[in-house]
Amino acid sequence: MRISFEWIKDFVDVAASPEDTAHRLTMAGLEIEGMESVEGDMVMEVNVTPNRPDCLNILGIAREVAAVFGLPLKKPQACIEGPQEKGDIRVEIDAPDLCGRYAGRMIKGITVGESPDWMQKRLEKCGIRAINSVVDVTNYILLELGHPLHAFDADRLEGRVIRVAKAGTNRSITTLDGVERRLPEDTLMIWDGKEPVAIAGIMGGEGSAVDAATRNIFLESAYFDPSSIRRSSKMLGLKSESSYRFERGTDREFLETALSRAAILIQEIAGGTIHKIVDVYPEKYAPVTIEVTYRKVNSLLGTNIDKEEMLRILEMIEIKTRDKGDSFTASPPAFRGDIKEPIDIVEEIARCYGYDKVPVRVPKTPLADGILNKKERKLEALKEAVRKSGFNEVINYSFMNPDDLDMLSIPEGDKRRKYVTLKNPLRQEDSLMRTTLIPSLINNFLYNLARGTGEISLYELSRVFLDEGGPLPGEELRLGGIYFRENTSAVWHEQIPSFFVVKGVLQALFAEMKAGEYSMVPSDEVFLHHGKSADILFKGRKAGFIGEVSPHIIERLNLKIKKPEIVVFELSLDLLLSMVQEKTVYAQIPKYPSIERDIALVVDDRLTAGEILNLLRGYASPVIESIELFDYYKGKNIPPDKKSLGFRIVYRSKDRTLTDNEVEAVHGALVEYILKKTSGELRG
Amino acid sequence: MGDLHSLKKAFLDEIAAVTDLAGLQQIKSRYTGKKGLLTEKLKALSSLAAEERRNYGKLVNEIKDFIEGTVKEKELAFREIEKERRLLTEKIDITLPGKPFSFGRQHPINQVLSEIKDIFVSMGFGIEEGPEVELDYYNFEALNLPKDHPARDMQDTFYVSDDVVLRTHTSPVQVRVMEKKSPPLKIIAPGKVYRCDSDVSHTAMFHQVEGLMVDTDVSFSDLKGLLELFIHSFFGKDTPVRFRPSYFPFTEPSAEVDIGCIFCSGKGCRVCKTTGWLEVMGCGMVNPRVFEMSGYQPDEYTGFAFGMGVERMTMLKYSIDDIRLFYENDLRFLKQF
Repeated sequence: MRISFEWIKDFVDVAASPEDTAHRLTMAGLEIEGMESVEGDMVMEVNVTPNRPDCLNILGIAREVAAVFGLPLKKPQACIEGPQEKGDIRVEIDAPDLCGRYAGRMIKGITVGESPDWMQKRLEKCGIRAINSVVDVTNYILLELGHPLHAFDADRLEGRVIRVAKAGTNRSITTLDGVERRLPEDTLMIWDGKEPVAIAGIMGGEGSAVDAATRNIFLESAYFDPSSIRRSSKMLGLKSESSYRFERGTDREFLETALSRAAILIQEIAGGTIHKIVDVYPEKYAPVTIEVTYRKVNSLLGTNIDKEEMLRILEMIEIKTRDKGDSFTASPPAFRGDIKEPIDIVEEIARCYGYDKVPVRVPKTPLADGILNKKERKLEALKEAVRKSGFNEVINYSFMNPDDLDMLSIPEGDKRRKYVTLKNPLRQEDSLMRTTLIPSLINNFLYNLARGTGEISLYELSRVFLDEGGPLPGEELRLGGIYFRENTSAVWHEQIPSFFVVKGVLQALFAEMKAGEYSMVPSDEVFLHHGKSADILFKGRKAGFIGEVSPHIIERLNLKIKKPEIVVFELSLDLLLSMVQEKTVYAQIPKYPSIERDIALVVDDRLTAGEILNLLRGYASPVIESIELFDYYKGKNIPPDKKSLGFRIVYRSKDRTLTDNEVEAVHGALVEYILKKTSGELRG
Repeated sequence: MGDLHSLKKAFLDEIAAVTDLAGLQQIKSRYTGKKGLLTEKLKALSSLAAEERRNYGKLVNEIKDFIEGTVKEKELAFREIEKERRLLTEKIDITLPGKPFSFGRQHPINQVLSEIKDIFVSMGFGIEEGPEVELDYYNFEALNLPKDHPARDMQDTFYVSDDVVLRTHTSPVQVRVMEKKSPPLKIIAPGKVYRCDSDVSHTAMFHQVEGLMVDTDVSFSDLKGLLELFIHSFFGKDTPVRFRPSYFPFTEPSAEVDIGCIFCSGKGCRVCKTTGWLEVMGCGMVNPRVFEMSGYQPDEYTGFAFGMGVERMTMLKYSIDDIRLFYENDLRFLKQF
């Protein structure tokens, strides 16, 4: 809210500079976010928190200024002298739960023109445009005293009655902004004898608006239920300076002063005769009294403020107090509707005493474990492992585009089609919550490629959201990655298919995490290249996939690259973490030497290395320590439908040194076994 | 005996002419090898008479020692020469690049998040998490923000349904933890949060770290002490800190925490809007109503809560002026941290 420093001085004789005042207000909870010098005045931008509607006006700010400097506040007086005639409009409240008080005055015989210069200037400084003298006065009072008023052209009201009632069914109104609005049933309306003439507390109707031809007005000053105004304002999508204040809460005790002050100003500017007040007040303001112990205040704040100081602070902000020995009672003024509980009193004392005066103490608390929880630690280790493999971390929005799943050809019925939809997305492209990380990673790849980056390896660790029919979706932690290397010339030549580069990374990752045994089987993910993709299985459960992006997808992406070899992977970390071996038990370092023997096999190309390795590992012998694939070759000297694989077998006994003859015998049998099983032959 | 002398002479001639280790080895084996000339002489000893044998044998052994010594000496000399030669000729271009390899980088947001977590963990805080798609109840109502409360305007909310939202802050984790665990509590809850807002300083998703400490005698004074410790640890020992009154429905009294502007040392600049201060956190004493709703006894326990935006902390740390850079994921940006 914008306020004028010079206007504040109407209510408090502040000698301090605007800068100083701004600082003191900020430190008392009224943050001055900015200041601007306008024609010798200082206009301040105040950030009023939602609990302080009493500060949404000049008087309220002046009251705070008076309190922080210990100055007297010049309260506005509005006394209408002499006898007044009774107005001929009566007021009926049909919904007393939504309208606690409704007052009004008629002013007859006015001439509507422009408001005086000084008033227009003040309005303008606070960001309100001048309209005509009557409207300007209502706005002036809104800014000055925080009470929204509304002026009706009394001659345009039917039936000499103002009725406060809900809209009911099938009603609409054209508001002052010229928009015809259909009214939700529960909207509180101001009616004349025939139809709704204003949306209560939000905006007046065009039909009863004051204009240059207006002679007689009915000036409204009312109290409306904050929740009701807020609901209506939301449903109508209509906000105003009035609704902003009503929905935060106005002072129903003060509305009479605001009404009279406005009437006096109108009379001064536009002439006319002020008539008697009509005041229907079905729900009287009930003052609250709160009891607080002195000890509670100091123990909660960690201070040592004495009794007198506490009471002095509260009196300064117009809270009446009474000492009761160990405790005191506090009765806040009607404009402080936010003060209801003892804690509210503690807060008032704290902010006026000064947060800076509260001593600093390092908390004494029981020892906590003080370690990252286990899951956090594992995730940190995992991310570090991926980074050490050269992958850079990205963070993407958790949203996805409805088209993303189509782009990946994700079939109907797939789990990834069970997404969560936002009712109010910022953009249609961001209207779903992600069910897979792959589309975002592909976008990251495209973004970087378009900017000339030829080496792209990215990973993201994030949750995806799967609608499983419960009140809240399932949130699954995923690790996703994308890898691409442009075929660029390099000093040191190393041609490894991208699939195997990434597979190597995942192997190292699983080993680092001690995730245990896993296998890779051909994947049927539709967006991956069928011949170059794998599902990763832990104990038979699919933990994720790795593979080259299918040529179908590449074509859709419209990529102009020489080597469209893009490898992606996505892993369910919840599953992976559950596989982690929790306890490491030391294994003795072997005492006796090992003997190594190799087998170079030439086999049918359709037989996979994994199958052969499984066969070899299935061969039972107590002296075989390990079997690894160490060579793979296709090409010269090997028939085109065959390949050569080299396996290294390490023989070792736990309790003695093996002899050559012993190893020869076992190895010979193993070779015979594998040749038979694979119908292969030894490489010459 | 003369044959032995000529043999020695021949050896000396050969050794003088030899130029490399291989030649030396040949000479060595020709004289002292299994079938070497000198070895033959030794074998022939048995056919000699006793007197002659003794003298001849002595000489043979002397020559043998001599040859072996000379060969050894020569061998050492050749090895020296060979090393020198390798050092001179085996030269690589050390300015050629190493095998290309680089570690990946952690996203700056997560780097800062890790740092924040480390500081609190070292102060004995545990880490908790909660769902990002959250019930309206936990995100708002249990935090003293009933429906139709104007303070809901402080946070633009993404709705999934009337009762389900994308969490607008990490505060609901507080409530979930309090429902499950009894006091004392010392936790932080880091994570993603969402607001329906997007410009230079706002993104629809960002990261927060929420903190909560509850015990029988926790005061506002403790809150100041803890957060000062944190800020000094994160921004540096001499960073000025101030607490100023503010409002959050779930804490009371509430405060904003400002630090002296790190760009102008508090003199006033564009970043701090000439105030000399930068807002970095919100905090306050847990509102008794929140305790009540979470099943804690407000008469028995007090506590404080605090929250900070990780993007904001990161922007301040690295002088980044546009929050959207974090989510463009441009490698040229990411690799700088």
